[in-house]
Amino acid sequence: MNFALFNALGNGTLGLMRYLGELAFLVRDTAESIWVAPLRWRLLLRQIAEVGFRSQLVVIVTGAFTGAVFSAQTYFQFHRLGMDSAVGAVVAVSMFRELGPVLTALMLSGRVGASIAAEIGTMKVTEQIEALRALGVHPIDYLIVPRVLALIISGPLLAAECIGLGIGAGYIVATKVLGISEAYYMTNMLKFTTERDLKMAMIKGTCFAILIGFIACAEGLKTSQGAVGVGRAPTQAVVIASLVILISNFFLSFALNIFFPAGTY
Amino acid sequence: MIEVQNLYKKFGDQTVLDGVSMLISPGKTHVILGRSGCGKSVLLKHLVGLLQPDSGKVLIDGEDISKLPERRLGPIRKKIGILFQSGALFDSMSVAENIAFPLRESGVRDAELIRGKVAEALEMVDLSGEEEKMPENLSGGMRKRVGLARTIVSRPSCILYDEPTTGLDPIATDSINHLIRRLQKRLQATSVVVTHDMKTAFHTADRIGFMHEGRLYFEGTPKELHESTDPILKNFIEGHSGESA
Repeated sequence: MNFALFNALGNGTLGLMRYLGELAFLVRDTAESIWVAPLRWRLLLRQIAEVGFRSQLVVIVTGAFTGAVFSAQTYFQFHRLGMDSAVGAVVAVSMFRELGPVLTALMLSGRVGASIAAEIGTMKVTEQIEALRALGVHPIDYLIVPRVLALIISGPLLAAECIGLGIGAGYIVATKVLGISEAYYMTNMLKFTTERDLKMAMIKGTCFAILIGFIACAEGLKTSQGAVGVGRAPTQAVVIASLVILISNFFLSFALNIFFPAGTY
Repeated sequence: MIEVQNLYKKFGDQTVLDGVSMLISPGKTHVILGRSGCGKSVLLKHLVGLLQPDSGKVLIDGEDISKLPERRLGPIRKKIGILFQSGALFDSMSVAENIAFPLRESGVRDAELIRGKVAEALEMVDLSGEEEKMPENLSGGMRKRVGLARTIVSRPSCILYDEPTTGLDPIATDSINHLIRRLQKRLQATSVVVTHDMKTAFHTADRIGFMHEGRLYFEGTPKELHESTDPILKNFIEGHSGESA
């Protein structure tokens, strides 16, 4: 019984170490490629369009409706305490520090991470990646670098867009639907929201984009077993990326709060 | 010239190459025969550095490529073209874009020059006028031809064929066999053909190697193979499994 438990724990730890090792090698190879190989601008621009432009709908809907409903829920609680005018500050700070970056990252892992893993996985099982190598093209230069860089560029911008729409939608719901005074709402929101909140959002957005990029590419690159493997790769990419985003967000929040403390202005 | 010295390769517990040595002379067509799973394709991938051996050497024009890092293999791979079993066409690109890919990667930017070379490569594989088709709209035989056009467009000095006729009907198989022979004459390139198809082997080979249980069991001319009385070779040539009823 104990032996089986230790065996399972040992296998789990070894599996995690192996996975982290593979990811570390991928990060090393990507950094080397960015350093030594010429950047493929056309591929990068195409990927920015794929990651950034084509994610507009999910980011707009996610940001706007999260801000709107968060504003309404905050109002329902605060109204009983007579703190209606604090709703704007709570919505803005929450959107900046947590909801904007995290929800954007979760949406990106579902839309972009899955697509990257499926595309690279299909190329792997149909020998297209070996064909690239045989033609003297390094797969990291051609496939990984443009996707990871596109995510690093687009991730924080999409998070900013999500935050802006969330705050805007929250403002409309609070002032036009729930009747909170526009002047108090704006004054408190601007008073409690600082440049530090924006910096924290951008750092989180960038970190999550890097995680999504490497996890999705790693899942694609290790695809095997034909159609079954191609089906499994995007699911794995989304599940792992989502869990890593949520867990790392906890630690990032504490770490970043040291440099960009909340609540002081 | 390609020289393989005492190549060993294991995947997990399974030994796939068990001390293979061979010499591939320039300008000739070498066929590597053997049953499915005997290590032919693994050997072929070692010749272009797609796999690294556990031990042994692969010498291309005297340079050992077996331990070279990926980035240093690029220039060597430009001298050696490989036709994959499935064609391995880039499915997001048209036929013309697939064939132009090696040229663009070599730094050729002149659109007119690229168009001319693509048309010439397609003419060599009897697919003139198919530039705009997408890979999904091609038959198995056409995919292999386009893959071959992509391989030869940059004029490699050596062409490797991984099971070029597998999955094709007899007419398409015969057509590919003629194509391999014709290209070898026209381009004067060294060819290495991995197959288990006897017709392909006898039609294209100047020399034949037979792999058995991870080793090069026989090497000689097609005539020597044909006249061999060795039971393993005879069973393979005649297609006898040794089973009864």
